[in-house]
Amino acid sequence: MRKQALSGILGVLVAFAIGAIVLALQGFNPVATYGALLQYSLFSGSGFSATVTRAVPLILTGLSASIAFASGPVNLGQPGQLVMGALGATLIGLFVHLSPAFLIPLCIMAALLGGALWSGLAALLKRAFAMDEFIVTLMLNFIADYFVLWVITYPLFDPSASSPMTRSISTAAWLPDLGGVNTSVLVMVLAAAVCWLIMSRGRSGYEWRMTGQNSLFARIGGCKVDANYVRVMLVTGALAGLAGGLMIMGGPHRFVKGLGASYAWDGIMIAVVANNGISGTFLYGLLFSALQQGAIGMELVTAVPSEFIDVLQAVIVLVVVAGRVSLNMVFDRLATKRKLKESTR
Amino acid sequence: MARDVLIDLQHITKVFPPDTVALSDVSVSFESGEIHALVGENGAGKSTLMKVFYGLEHRDAGDIFFKGTKVEFRTPREAIAAGIGMVHQEILLIPEYTVWQNIVLGAEPVRAFGIINAHEAREAVRQKIEEFQFNLDPDALVGDISVAARQKVEILKLLYRNVSVLVLDEPTAVLTPQEIPQLFAELVRLRDKGHTIIFISHRLDEVLALSDRVTVMRRGKVVGTSNASGLTKQDLARQMVGRDVLFTSRRQPQEPGEMVFRAQRLNCSDAEHRVRLHDATVEVRAGEIVGVAGVEGNGQFELVNAIMGLAPMTSGTLEVKGKDMTHTDILTRRALIAFVPQDRGKMGASVGASILEDAIMTHHILDPRFHTWRGLGLNYQHAAEFVDQIRDQFTVSMGRSSDPFSSLSGGNQQKVILGRELLLETPFVLMDQPTRGLDVGSIEYVHQLLLDLRSKKRAVLLVSADLDELFMVADRIVVMCQGEVVVNLATDATSREEVGYYMLGGKGAAHAETGS
Repeated sequence: MRKQALSGILGVLVAFAIGAIVLALQGFNPVATYGALLQYSLFSGSGFSATVTRAVPLILTGLSASIAFASGPVNLGQPGQLVMGALGATLIGLFVHLSPAFLIPLCIMAALLGGALWSGLAALLKRAFAMDEFIVTLMLNFIADYFVLWVITYPLFDPSASSPMTRSISTAAWLPDLGGVNTSVLVMVLAAAVCWLIMSRGRSGYEWRMTGQNSLFARIGGCKVDANYVRVMLVTGALAGLAGGLMIMGGPHRFVKGLGASYAWDGIMIAVVANNGISGTFLYGLLFSALQQGAIGMELVTAVPSEFIDVLQAVIVLVVVAGRVSLNMVFDRLATKRKLKESTR
Repeated sequence: MARDVLIDLQHITKVFPPDTVALSDVSVSFESGEIHALVGENGAGKSTLMKVFYGLEHRDAGDIFFKGTKVEFRTPREAIAAGIGMVHQEILLIPEYTVWQNIVLGAEPVRAFGIINAHEAREAVRQKIEEFQFNLDPDALVGDISVAARQKVEILKLLYRNVSVLVLDEPTAVLTPQEIPQLFAELVRLRDKGHTIIFISHRLDEVLALSDRVTVMRRGKVVGTSNASGLTKQDLARQMVGRDVLFTSRRQPQEPGEMVFRAQRLNCSDAEHRVRLHDATVEVRAGEIVGVAGVEGNGQFELVNAIMGLAPMTSGTLEVKGKDMTHTDILTRRALIAFVPQDRGKMGASVGASILEDAIMTHHILDPRFHTWRGLGLNYQHAAEFVDQIRDQFTVSMGRSSDPFSSLSGGNQQKVILGRELLLETPFVLMDQPTRGLDVGSIEYVHQLLLDLRSKKRAVLLVSADLDELFMVADRIVVMCQGEVVVNLATDATSREEVGYYMLGGKGAAHAETGS
């Protein structure tokens, strides 16, 4: 755990240094650029609020991928599960009329359900026909994408709009702002806490992790690995679905074409950088969100194009992932040296 | 007879990160034309030393001299070119190729345009077989010949490349008692032709029977080198372990109790519909250890899988303590069956997990003390206490319970697994090769545990490839051959030779007795 944190912090610092070199080579001022980046993501009220709101889908899809990868199933269907969750929340928000105290939880349930339905389909195909979830979840992403596009273009199309989108959901389903920060952030933090409890303190999390590491051992040990597989798929699908639902309820309050963007893919990337750890996913999610949010401000005040952030993100991924392995090798080599000295004394 | 020093290893040191000193300032010399045994417990560094010499492992310090000059083999290929060959524990041949094809593979005589000169190659192999009197058919498919014959192919493969030094890593581990003398005769013949043979083993009888000189290693250091003629088994064991070791059975006479485990007429087939188990029947009573002997691959693994519910049976019944287990799931079985599998890293534990995580498996379901929050949570505090209990009760030498399982030595890993399984307090214990890969001290410990279980009136089924082990602890020995239980013998009324006879397929259903 301490080693992980060390290699993470070192990796990010090295990546920023590499980014600075790239900036300097292009004739930009690295200090001013990073200053603007921080200013518009963390050190201004609106920037900070936008950063944490943007972190909601990043962290939730990241947690989805982290839990799946740590437990065995290669669920790469977060993009599809996210839009299906968003659709679920939208449907309830459009057609059910209740007070916020009931409608908000109901919408959240619908979002969880929408995502779980989509990952559950992949789990079902695996159990029934031994189809690998790796490919099935990937393919289901396309089906989900075009399915929701059809839904918002035809049956739920808002006649007053010029591009595919639904009408606005009932205001009772809108997640309010609290002190300038949207409450979808609260829901996300709560979900992350539950994930941490399940994985680090729960009996199921223990079984899932052990199955992910050595499923034969877990099976011999009496764990119901098949049932656990389905549960992990459902839970991780629900997390991605929740990301979609919260985006609708906290953001545009309607399903707009292109809603999912690349959040879920970024989430998968975050899981990889965080080595499938829950707290790591949370922190890297915030970092990537800050970078993406700061990019907008950076482009405003400096001449650096926001695409630079894509480069920086890629460098972070490479440096942190590669650094984790090589840092271990360095530790090993140091230990060997120490031991050699001891034994020759 | 004074011989010349051929190989001189000086001050070799090897550290496996992070802090395992596998070899610490090891100096040994091997003479030309001798059979030199390298003995020691597992983890003593015998194989590592030879791998360093052979170019398979890097060393951190030390020098290697071969024929008086300093050498440095970076790969096995360079070692072979210099005339040194190593036969590994696992046999690495292509079953679909014939004997001669396997032997020439990688060093084929070729004609123009790289076309293999099959006739010449086969002829060269045939000559080698004749020269060393190996009794092999060059045209047989390697997949069809016995394990002993495959080992000969491995040796010939090196002789074909004209090596003068042969390193054999535990060559007898895969052989039956009948096959071992034959191998030894061949090795002696090789030595008499001027070859030097380095022989890694931990079977002391064999070492004394075969070698000219013996070097004993313990914990990465050389204890000493001496002539085999003046040594006894007790001397060697004391040097290896550092104290006296008991070799005789301490099995006290004891009347077995009621029937605990009963597997009747088990049948199963593999994916290609080959029969792997045929009407196998095994019974174990309380306070009884039943050994399962057999050449590997004769249905033992399938028997274990069938008992644990890991593979489906086509027919047969299983019963533990009067409870029908034929169709129950694994968890239900685990409440009555403790299971120590043969492969620690694959089935016995998750190597990447922490000691604690590996130690609490199965208990986390069956024992309510591991539950919190109405069974949703795992009681990590109790888990930590449980690990302490295993550590104290089974004398595991370990760091913190959060350390990775892989940081433990093989013997301590096995102790954690044994502790976990035996603390399940089940009436029936299934052990599949529980001492494989362990050092003498740990083996002795496991044997004592087995005998303790016996006196606690548990029923134990012990699958083992080690006949000495079976004769030491088992009350009865059943022999498996080609998926069948061919005979059921009372240990006190049989001999290694008789068991070996049945292992090799000698069917004696007529005078097979039920040794109850």
